[in-house]
Amino acid sequence: MERITIDPVTRLEGHGKIEIFLDPDGEVANAYFQIPELRGFERFCVGRPVEEMPTLTNRICGVCPEAHHMAAAKAADAVYHVDPPPAGKLLRELLYSAFFFTDHTTHFYALGGPDFVVGPDAPAAERNILGVIGKVGMEVGGKVIEARKRGHEVIEMIGGRKIHPASAVPGGMTQGITEEQRAEIEKFGRWAIEFGQFSLGIFDKIVLGNEAYKEMVLSDGYTHRTYYMGMVDPNNKVNFYDGQISIMSPDGERVGTYAPADYRDWIAERVEPWTYLKFPYLKKVGWKGFVDGADSGVYCATPLSRLNTADGMATPLAQAAYERFFDTLAPKPEAGGKRLVHHRLATHWARLIELLYAAERVVELAKDPDIASPNVRTVPTEKPTEGVGTVEAPRGTLTHHYWTDERGILTAVNLVVGTTNNYAPMAMSIKKAAQSLIHKGTVVHQGLLNRVEMAFRLYDPCFGCATHSLPGEMPLRVAIRNSDGEVVDVLSQNC
Amino acid sequence: MADRVSADPPPRTIVIGLGNPLLGDDGVGWRVADEVEGRLLATRQTGGNAPGVEIERLGVGGLRLMECLTGYEVAILVDAAEFPGRPLGEVRSCALDDLDCHAAGHLDSAHDASLRTALAMGRRLGADLPERIDTVTVQAHRTDEFSEELSPAVLAAVPAAAAAVVELLRAEAS
Repeated sequence: MERITIDPVTRLEGHGKIEIFLDPDGEVANAYFQIPELRGFERFCVGRPVEEMPTLTNRICGVCPEAHHMAAAKAADAVYHVDPPPAGKLLRELLYSAFFFTDHTTHFYALGGPDFVVGPDAPAAERNILGVIGKVGMEVGGKVIEARKRGHEVIEMIGGRKIHPASAVPGGMTQGITEEQRAEIEKFGRWAIEFGQFSLGIFDKIVLGNEAYKEMVLSDGYTHRTYYMGMVDPNNKVNFYDGQISIMSPDGERVGTYAPADYRDWIAERVEPWTYLKFPYLKKVGWKGFVDGADSGVYCATPLSRLNTADGMATPLAQAAYERFFDTLAPKPEAGGKRLVHHRLATHWARLIELLYAAERVVELAKDPDIASPNVRTVPTEKPTEGVGTVEAPRGTLTHHYWTDERGILTAVNLVVGTTNNYAPMAMSIKKAAQSLIHKGTVVHQGLLNRVEMAFRLYDPCFGCATHSLPGEMPLRVAIRNSDGEVVDVLSQNC
Repeated sequence: MADRVSADPPPRTIVIGLGNPLLGDDGVGWRVADEVEGRLLATRQTGGNAPGVEIERLGVGGLRLMECLTGYEVAILVDAAEFPGRPLGEVRSCALDDLDCHAAGHLDSAHDASLRTALAMGRRLGADLPERIDTVTVQAHRTDEFSEELSPAVLAAVPAAAAAVVELLRAEAS
C-alpha cells in the first residue's frame, strides 16, 4: 500500500501528522490525523484542592484559558453543591461572551478567513492575516486589533487578570463590577455588534458573492452527514455558558437533550490501535467506524453543530443571520423536520453568526439590572463530593468532571475537551478532501496540502489542550512513499 | 501582571518568559524570568546599577504575544527550544530574525498567526513595536507531560540563561 504522510514540523518530532494511505489503484483508502497529546493531567491534578482547578486548568494552554476556567468553576460549584447568585452567573457569562467574541474574531481573520478571503489556491505564505489585509484593506487589520484589544480589556476587567482569568471560584465570582465598568462593557458590546455585522458583510461579499467559493462550500468533498452536539437554553436556543446538551440526528431529528452531568450515559470513547487518541461517539447509536449517517455514532461539536442542534439564536440580529444561513444553504427541512447544514466549510459562516450573538449577549448582560450587584458569590458550606461542569468552548463542548474526598481534595479528574469531540469528524473530512483530490494518475501538488489543511482547520482544532507547539501557519510536509515504504517525493509548505 | 523592578521612568524594555510552567521543561522560560528578576533586585539592593525592565511570564504566541510587545523599544523572549541534535540544557542567544522559525514553539500559536506574521501585521498597522527582538533559548525535552519539575540539565542551565538575558540588557542599556 502506498502511503502519503503530511507531517507538521513540530517540536514533538514524530508526533502529530496526517497519513493518507492509498490502495493499490492509487485511490485514497484511509486518512488518519494524529495529534500530539499531553500526558498526565489527571495524575497531576489528583491530590490538589478542587478550588485550585479554575486557575490550574486555565494554564493547560494559552488558547482558551477562559473556557477551562469556566468549566472548572462550574464543576467546582457542583462538587460543593452550591448555586452561584444571579450576579455571579451573569458576570461569568459576560466574561465568557467577551471571550467568544474575541476568540471567533481571531479564528476568522487569522486562520479560517484567509482560505476564502485570500483564496484556497493562494501560496501558503499569503494565506494569513497579512494576506487578508492585503485583499480587504488596512482598516480591517486595525479593526481586528481593536476587537481583540477591547475584548481582552473586558475579560481582564471581569477576570481580574490579563491572560489567565482568576475570578470564577466555587459558588460564584471573587469580585463584581462597578457601574462605570458596566457602562464601559456595554459600550464595547455595541461596538462589537457593529464589528460582527461588518464581519458577516465581508463573508457575504467575498464568499457568498463568489460562485467558485460558494460551489466549494457546497461541494461533496466538504460535506458530512453526522450527528451534531451543542448546548441549548430552555427555549432550545444556542447558549455558550449554561444549559442542556442537545443531540441532533443527521436526518434533522432531535435525538435527545440531556443534563451535562449525564454525559457518560451518552458519550463513549473508541480506541484505535494506530493512535493513542480516543474518539468519542454516541453510545446509544454505537461505533460503526469513520463513516457518515444515522447508523454511525460519530458526532460533531462545532459552531455549525451548535446552529444545527438549536432552534435558533436568542438575540435578534444573530437570529436574522441564522435564518439567512439556513435559507441559503438548507432551504428544505430534513426528514426529521429540522433544517440542517451539512457543508462543513459553512462552519466559518456559523462562527461569524456566533460572534454576532456573543456581541449582542454582551450588551444584554451588561444591561441586566443584577449585573453590578455586589452579591456575586454563595460561599460553599456543604461537603464536597463529585461534580460536572460543561460549557461550549469555541471549538466544541467542554466538560470537566471531578471527584473529591470529604475535604475537597481531588481523587479523580476527567476532561473531555472541545477538539476531542471532533477527532473522528476531522479524520473523515481529511479523508474526503483527499479523496476528491487524489486519483490514479493525478500528480499530488501543493493544492492538496491547502485543501486538506482547510478540511481540518474549519473545525478550529485547538491543539493547545493537546500540545502547545503546533505552529499557527501550519508547516506541512508530504512524503510520498511507494509500496515498499520508500519516500519517492516530498512536498512542503511553511517549513 | 508585569512586576515592576524599577521605579524609574516608564521602562521601555521587557523580558518575557514564555512557556507553560505545568509542562516540565516547557516552564524553563518562566524560571529564567524569575532568576533575572531576582538578580536585578539583588543588584539594586546592593547599590548596583541595574537596567530598568519589566518582566512578564506568558503562555501565549502569535497575535497575543505581539500585542504584549507593543510600547517597548527592547524585548527579550526566553523560551524552551528543541533544536535538532543539540545538547540538553544548552543556552543559545540570537535575534528573533535569525532564529529558525520553528525552533521555539511559543513563537507560533496553534490558534492564530505566527509571531513573525503578527509582527509584520502590527508594523504595517503602525503599532509601536521593538525594532529588534532578542531570544534566549534553553534546549529542552519532556515538554509534553504535566509536571512542575525541570529536567536536571535544564534546571542547571537557568543561571546561564539568566546571565545571557542580563548581558543583553546591559548591552542595550549601554
